[in-house]
Amino acid sequence: MADDDRDTPDHSVSRRAFLKGGALATGAIGSTLLPETAEAQLPIATEPDPRRSVVEMTVNGVAYRKEIPNRTTLLQFLREHLALTGAKMGCDRAQCGACTVIVNGRNVYSCTTLAVEATGAEVLTIEGLATGDALHPIQQAFIQHTGFQCGFCTSGQIMTTKAFLDRVPHPTEDEARRALSGNLCRCAAYKRILESVMTASRLMQA
Amino acid sequence: MAQQQGARNLTVVGTASPPIDAVERVTGQAKYVGDIELPGMLVAKVLRARHAHARIVSLDTSRAEALPGVKAVITHKDAPKVPIWGNRTYALNEQVRFAGEAVAAVAAVDEETAEKALRLIDVKYEVLKFVLDPEEAVKPGAPQLFPDGNLEGQPRVLTRGDVERAFAECDRVIERVYHCPTMWSGGMEPRVAIAQWEGNKLTLWASTQAPCRVQTNLTGQFNLADSQVRVIASYVGGGFGTKSAAHVDETIAALLARKARRPVKLQYSREEEILDSNTRFETRVYVKIGVKRDMTLHAMDVKAYINQGAYHVRLGGLGNQATHIYKTPHLRTVQYRVHTNLPNTGPTRGVGDPQETFAIDSAMDEIANEMGWDPVEFRLKNVKRNGDPIARGGTGPEDGRLVTQVTDRCIEEGAARIGWARRNAAPGAGQTGPKARGIGVAVTERGNGGGLAGATVTVNLDGSVVVFYASTDIGTHSRTTLSMIAAETIGVALASVRAVAGDTEVAPYDGGSYGNRVLYSTGRAVDAAARDCREQIFATAAPMLKASAADLELRDGVVRVKADASRSLPLRELMQRRGRSVVGDGNVAQSQAEVNVERAAGAHFVEVEVDRETGKIRILRYISAHDVGQPINRTVVENQIEGGTIQGLALTQAEEMRFDPRDGRCLNANFLDLKPPTMLDFDARVIEPIVVDNVGEQGPYGAKGLGENPCHPGMAAVANAVYNASGIRLRRVPFTRADVLRALAEQRTGVSRTA
Ligand code: FES
Ligand code: FES
Repeated sequence: MADDDRDTPDHSVSRRAFLKGGALATGAIGSTLLPETAEAQLPIATEPDPRRSVVEMTVNGVAYRKEIPNRTTLLQFLREHLALTGAKMGCDRAQCGACTVIVNGRNVYSCTTLAVEATGAEVLTIEGLATGDALHPIQQAFIQHTGFQCGFCTSGQIMTTKAFLDRVPHPTEDEARRALSGNLCRCAAYKRILESVMTASRLMQA
Repeated sequence: MAQQQGARNLTVVGTASPPIDAVERVTGQAKYVGDIELPGMLVAKVLRARHAHARIVSLDTSRAEALPGVKAVITHKDAPKVPIWGNRTYALNEQVRFAGEAVAAVAAVDEETAEKALRLIDVKYEVLKFVLDPEEAVKPGAPQLFPDGNLEGQPRVLTRGDVERAFAECDRVIERVYHCPTMWSGGMEPRVAIAQWEGNKLTLWASTQAPCRVQTNLTGQFNLADSQVRVIASYVGGGFGTKSAAHVDETIAALLARKARRPVKLQYSREEEILDSNTRFETRVYVKIGVKRDMTLHAMDVKAYINQGAYHVRLGGLGNQATHIYKTPHLRTVQYRVHTNLPNTGPTRGVGDPQETFAIDSAMDEIANEMGWDPVEFRLKNVKRNGDPIARGGTGPEDGRLVTQVTDRCIEEGAARIGWARRNAAPGAGQTGPKARGIGVAVTERGNGGGLAGATVTVNLDGSVVVFYASTDIGTHSRTTLSMIAAETIGVALASVRAVAGDTEVAPYDGGSYGNRVLYSTGRAVDAAARDCREQIFATAAPMLKASAADLELRDGVVRVKADASRSLPLRELMQRRGRSVVGDGNVAQSQAEVNVERAAGAHFVEVEVDRETGKIRILRYISAHDVGQPINRTVVENQIEGGTIQGLALTQAEEMRFDPRDGRCLNANFLDLKPPTMLDFDARVIEPIVVDNVGEQGPYGAKGLGENPCHPGMAAVANAVYNASGIRLRRVPFTRADVLRALAEQRTGVSRTA
């Protein structure tokens, strides 16, 4: 029995493929006129390319203006265009929190936010948390309690904590556990992460 | 322990210093492999088969190759006919053996182009019959994965005494079967590899626990010398065994980079990581256990089917728990290692020990309860104690004697802490409301990893110290603990030590970070290298201080004459006068037989609440008592115990990889459906680590390895506690609410619905 797999490279429709389909659909008229050429191969557009947009946003206090493919996620934008690699890709589908950054004061999964959605926004990443060499109290608390093992989830944990404590400065432990429950830690340093959050809340009041 | 530490005059070892790389980790500056960008780097993507078992009839890549922006396409025709190290797969195979197996890969200028190219590859398959169940796979007529059959090698057999005769002598014999399905075991960071060729020199950045094993694999794949392959794994986002051996992705990245003549990054998606890493293997363990009326464990017969999946890293299976924990005069263990059309498996945290502990320590509990014995008393009566015989060869005759063994003390301290006497004297009885509480125990142990270990320590001209080692810091904080050993041995403050981890080009060969070995074995190499440094420093200092080297000591960064502290020289000044760096060399080769006599024990006690109406099992309190020998860093020890305990608990509630019986495809290759625990799933605050006071003999400063052990007892401890609470016995993980409710219904009606 022969089977033809040509159009099904992957055995499930990934969120990525879904997003990409959406992004392409918005520029459907344009893209049918364009040759089947990779974006990176295109000459600098003389006519506007409907598959690309200009995004403007402030990241860690610095204003950026860049033309990017529409399909670029905020996580990709930060990591690949701005070389801010503190936010990590753990699942790329809003299931782990490793990619958490703060957009206009709210913690978001940057893997499932398009960069174009964040146009005009104030974005804060782990790289923008410390002031010079002075660590933010949350970072100090995570060190004090060793609120991590491998550290891959840590930027996300810290950014969620930041947005949370800004909203709820004196949380109970159970409120903190709920707030952090969207950030997986596979090393399961949860006891220490919770201690770090509670200590950070105290340090931030001091 | 504080006393002991004082008596041994330790100043760095035994403290709770924060990790030396903590600032990098909390500021996002730590560079993991995926964070690395090289000029001109291409993006790689892998085409994966949807069939569980098939032969590739034809592969046409011409349309993909013609797509602008595509720089290389590879298939099994490009893959060297050299198996991946420790495995029997090639980088790409002509025969597909699991749904999700790689069949081709492309490197392109960007992700979108690479994805588009995958869709242009035309593969025709001859679909073959598949088999997923390990016991079905060894029956005649089962679909065959390999020409020599589905059974890998001979069954592994161990016999001690005369099992058949012994069962006849027993007062009670029970037979049970315990089942653990294939389970996800990966870390937060999905697999990723970057390959770069400069002429015939390959540099490969990989998220691996064992850079030297990856290097060995690549030298074999490309027929290169060790000097031509450099593997770097600086920061690794967790591995838990899935990254403890070479894997196909590293070779695929290197093949693409060589063909494209540009650097290539191959970043697995989460789905790919779940399907194609080396995950926890399925086990079905048949246990027959017999006791005598005087509470002695007389005979045990263990038959285990290990479902290795399509490919398997051949690095251990089961056998430790049945063989080493209890004095069992008559013992037989038989292991069948079977290939089926499920994804790759390999050694993951504890290898087969968690699965085997589930079987052995559940069976111990079952027979104790049937005899009306106190399960703790029964264990203490039969557990191996210090000085008892042990098989040095792991599975051979018991030709050695245990040293520094404290299994009994782990049990006693854990029992005291949880208040063992409070448990239900009559399991399952006496509690009328919907919620029933109970307490359970499980015991485990494991040897420390030996093998070749190497490290280099240098003392710079300003007196600062660098430790170089080729194993990695996967989250166990080995950078910190190894630096603490160097600081203690040389006699300097921890703040002046830095560690360079996971680079095969700057450090000598070292096995890797797995199997409770990096602290124990690499730690000994670091200690040896640091001693070498100290001797060279004393040789330099002796003429300067007009003393013999033997009369000198080095503490807090100052060399002194022991008898006359006024004659001293700060290390910094000494090094400047010396004008040459000190390079200390540390290599130790320890056979597994040598290290097997020294083992690390643990006992877990858990109090649960079983909700008879909803089937929910709640963990109320969890005591994890462990022997780690001398703790090098107390925080690191407790962090490992707490995290490992939760990983063990996770196996009781989720993480089963489910497969569609109709096509063999994984149904839940994502975090939403696999459900690794969040902060809400287990309340980590109820976990209390106990570090049992002990000092080992062989490890650095008497330390023992710990990483694996806390993951072992969770399944058995919870099953035993659920029995104590409710009288139902769970023999398959995960323990779903449906399982609990079904067992409760059977208990009420006396009718079993399971075969
Ligand atoms: S990477 Fe965004 S939630 Fe996992
Ligand atoms: S520290 Fe490793 S995933 Fe959280």
